[in-house]
Amino acid sequence: MTIDRREFLKLSALAAATAAASGSPAPAEGATSPDGVRWEKAPCRFCGTGCHVVVGTKGGKVVAIQGDPSAEVNKGLLCVKGYHVALALYGEDRLTRPLLRQGDGYVPITWERAIGIVADRIMLDPAGFALYGSGQWTIPEGYAANKFMKGGLSNNHIDPNARLCMASAVTGFLATYGVDEPAGCYDDLDACDVLICWGNNMAEMHPVLFSRVIDRRVRGDDVTLIDIGTRRTRTTAQAQHFLQFRPHTDLAIANGIAHLLLRDGTYDKEFVEKHLAFRIQSDPPDLLGKASTFEEYKAALEPYTPERVEEISGVPAGDIRMLGELFGRRDLRIVSVWCMGMNQHTRGTAINCLVHGVHLLSGHFGRPGDAPTSLTGQPSACGTVREVGTLSHALPGGFRVDKDPHRKKAEELWNLPEGRINAKPGYHTVKMWQQFSTPKAKGGDIHTIWVQVTNPAQTLPNRHLLLDPSRQDPDKFLIVSDVYPTATTRVADLILPSAMWVEKNGMFGNSERRTQQWFRQVMPPGEARDDCWQIVAVSYELFRRGHPGMRDKDGKWIFHTTDGNGREVPIWDWRRYYDVNVDKRLFEEYRPFSRLKHKDLAPYDEYVSARGLRWPVVKREDGSWTETRFRFAEGYDPYVKAGAGIDFYHSVTEDGRAQLWFYPYEAPPESPDKDYPFWLCTGRVLEHWHTGTMTGRIPQLRRAMPQAYVEMNRQDAARLGIRDGESVILETRRGDLELPVWIDGRGAPPQGSLFVPFFDERLQINELTLHEHDPFSKQPDYKKCAARVRRKEA
Amino acid sequence: MHAPSPLVLGLGVVLGVSLIGFLAGTRESAYEQPSALPGEEEPEGATDQARSYREQRLSARGSGSGWDKDLADLRTLAPDRLDPVDLEGTSKAEDLAARAARRAYDGAPPTIPHPVGQGGAAECLACHDEGLRFREVTAPAVPHDAFTNCTQCHVVESGPVPGKVEQTDPRAVDNAFAGLSSPTAGPRWSMAPPQVPHSTRMRESCLSCHGPLGANALRSTHPSRESCSQCHTSSAELEFRPGGTP
Repeated sequence: MTIDRREFLKLSALAAATAAASGSPAPAEGATSPDGVRWEKAPCRFCGTGCHVVVGTKGGKVVAIQGDPSAEVNKGLLCVKGYHVALALYGEDRLTRPLLRQGDGYVPITWERAIGIVADRIMLDPAGFALYGSGQWTIPEGYAANKFMKGGLSNNHIDPNARLCMASAVTGFLATYGVDEPAGCYDDLDACDVLICWGNNMAEMHPVLFSRVIDRRVRGDDVTLIDIGTRRTRTTAQAQHFLQFRPHTDLAIANGIAHLLLRDGTYDKEFVEKHLAFRIQSDPPDLLGKASTFEEYKAALEPYTPERVEEISGVPAGDIRMLGELFGRRDLRIVSVWCMGMNQHTRGTAINCLVHGVHLLSGHFGRPGDAPTSLTGQPSACGTVREVGTLSHALPGGFRVDKDPHRKKAEELWNLPEGRINAKPGYHTVKMWQQFSTPKAKGGDIHTIWVQVTNPAQTLPNRHLLLDPSRQDPDKFLIVSDVYPTATTRVADLILPSAMWVEKNGMFGNSERRTQQWFRQVMPPGEARDDCWQIVAVSYELFRRGHPGMRDKDGKWIFHTTDGNGREVPIWDWRRYYDVNVDKRLFEEYRPFSRLKHKDLAPYDEYVSARGLRWPVVKREDGSWTETRFRFAEGYDPYVKAGAGIDFYHSVTEDGRAQLWFYPYEAPPESPDKDYPFWLCTGRVLEHWHTGTMTGRIPQLRRAMPQAYVEMNRQDAARLGIRDGESVILETRRGDLELPVWIDGRGAPPQGSLFVPFFDERLQINELTLHEHDPFSKQPDYKKCAARVRRKEA
Repeated sequence: MHAPSPLVLGLGVVLGVSLIGFLAGTRESAYEQPSALPGEEEPEGATDQARSYREQRLSARGSGSGWDKDLADLRTLAPDRLDPVDLEGTSKAEDLAARAARRAYDGAPPTIPHPVGQGGAAECLACHDEGLRFREVTAPAVPHDAFTNCTQCHVVESGPVPGKVEQTDPRAVDNAFAGLSSPTAGPRWSMAPPQVPHSTRMRESCLSCHGPLGANALRSTHPSRESCSQCHTSSAELEFRPGGTP
């Protein structure tokens, strides 16, 4: 990669000037140390924890990384992925030119032609175009994409990979509190007495948060860690209690706890009376269900005795009683955390509601150290997907396309003519890909999908059904923006090379409502360009061709941008894109949306000098902008009135109450049987981040975890005559895969269970998983299906 | 800082496992192999041949090799801080290169040159708490306290998965990242004690690298002195101290 020296100097000067102007007290903001290394902040590129790193650059390249000592999230510590994040920029096979499929290969084309091709595909039939994005989109990127689709094309077929990742957490929050995202924050981890991991291997997936808790033990704190899981992991190794349950039966465990709280009278009566309403499933099922009563709730929980729960879940009745007793004690502070175990679940919404319910019923809510908290896997699943609303039914700020006043308000904020926004929700992820893989003649009305910042060929469940048919169909066109060749670019018709992480300006929003900002620090390689610019450039091309949706009410282009003097800056022209801070311009336009659900964001410049701020960020009388640690709690949340204590001010019942749900345990869609006798669970490992397209290019991580494997119990292996390390064929009703067996490896499943990580592009386990999904969140279940194992020679 | 109870409990079990692992790792690692241990040289493809009892006993993992000494014995073999230090014949460049081979850049957490179990910090600290040396292999002492999730930052140098499915890898293996190299010397005025040329974050215990178990040329000539920072100041810029920004 060659760097234009002038451009680099200009960039450095810009960043330095901004840092100086912000009056940043933070050390190392754009500082150069004696060894000639320039240090500047950025959030880590990888998971939803949202650690801050300090990026060291020299000669236009990143040369070192440090944990940011002034970041509250990670307090100077990182995990192995974070320490090696810079290497993700420098894999030898970075994509550097737009590539167009020609026969069996690809030919390089100009950006001009590439943008023209995207515009051609859209103009072919704007309603059949879909945008598939990600929780790795920066906030401005997601915002631009959402406005382009919903405000520009009047098309709601935009959905993110986060649908596969945390959609059930969203529906759980909405059904319970009427508004999305955790009320607590990471400070709870410093204050809790008990940490319960619900199907969550926090030691590997959110290591910085995990060690934030267990390192307290070294300082003399007494923290009880309870791991409720389906296999032994590194998290189990640190836990005092391991409650091993049969896959899918976590609903029975949660109901068992609620049963005991009611039976023993140890629930928080005052909290229930003042702050809760009761809710049960309606017919037909609906996310918001129907109102219920305390008596109905109690009667529904009656059967969930510890003994009955043991029968269903396999967790000893004594352990259920232990949980019941812990939740019954008000002198303890309890945090529940979960991630994919509860979310990638065909009853994902239900189990999310039940875990919130256990905390609400017992009053373990709203005090530091008392919180039910979902963790996210992507750096901006919260900031971009959930807050900017890059979902097929959503508008920025928690608004919905199917609500008239919401559309009207969005049209007003975007200065669009009335009726521009389509009232019908678009296709959710699974449906979008199904329509793409269905021939036009058979009703498959999606003809083109543009994928940005994600790798669906590896992450979609059952890709034989959802992706492969489209690749044989000449009517279907797949556009992929990415930084490396991936399983998805390999089947794309048009590949667009993207800039990543500190090669561009950006903003992320992490799992604890913290909005973060960073500046571009090095130049992208070759012709790689920002994803946001790609959207803006396509939009301008459509505007130029006269697409009416690309104009606002006054006939101006929807991404019209001006400099300080009111003169238009041609941001569709890459050479001029960084003449202004496009992130700031988009973020300031987005900010008013954040007020609608009291998720107030501060002005862009406030984030420049901070290591992120947790919303609502509200301006105080002295002019300072103050973040909120605990939402809905008096004394912390500025929107809770004095004397209220707790106020669920977005209650679906509009009376300040949260909803306490009852959901029964029900059997999963597919369970082991005589033909497929094993449970198959899939997931992640410490060393690789999701599909490994970035971490797989980092030599230290790739060597440490070179390939996928199947974890198997020693007894099962002995029974089948399988040796450790032997290659076996793993089969489900959807496909088969050859994998080496690892006995007592990274994790240890119980008898009858298998585990396979999904990071390995060469050994794609998602070809074997179910595409059955939760009825409300539409999130598929990757955590359980029926499988069998066959020896290769047999 | 480390509670002794898990340590004591873990010791018996852990000693054998970790030391076997340690030695196995030095053999299997493709990176920066320490010189082969006596009896450990094996021709390619020899693994399927059964060894005689005599060969086994004499091999690095055999009962005659001394690996089964208990930790207390091994610690007595460690050089003492009061031993005279002779840096004659050492090469700083060589020692820094060996150090760099285990790190992506200066300041990156080093990779682990031996297999590890899943048992957590107790396993690691059996050797790395105080550090020890066995023959040519050194287990450095942890230079930072208060962290108990070792494998969060330190990963093994080569893959732990026992088997392999042969697949063509469509990804490029090479990475053009050029990491920041280690400083060679701290700035000093005349004969004054040099300033610490690196940040001390995660490197709070100086003796971990500069003590008797440190790589030759990195060693201090006076490890018996207790208070390093009395004479060697740290850099405000490198430590990101307020006012340290130039």
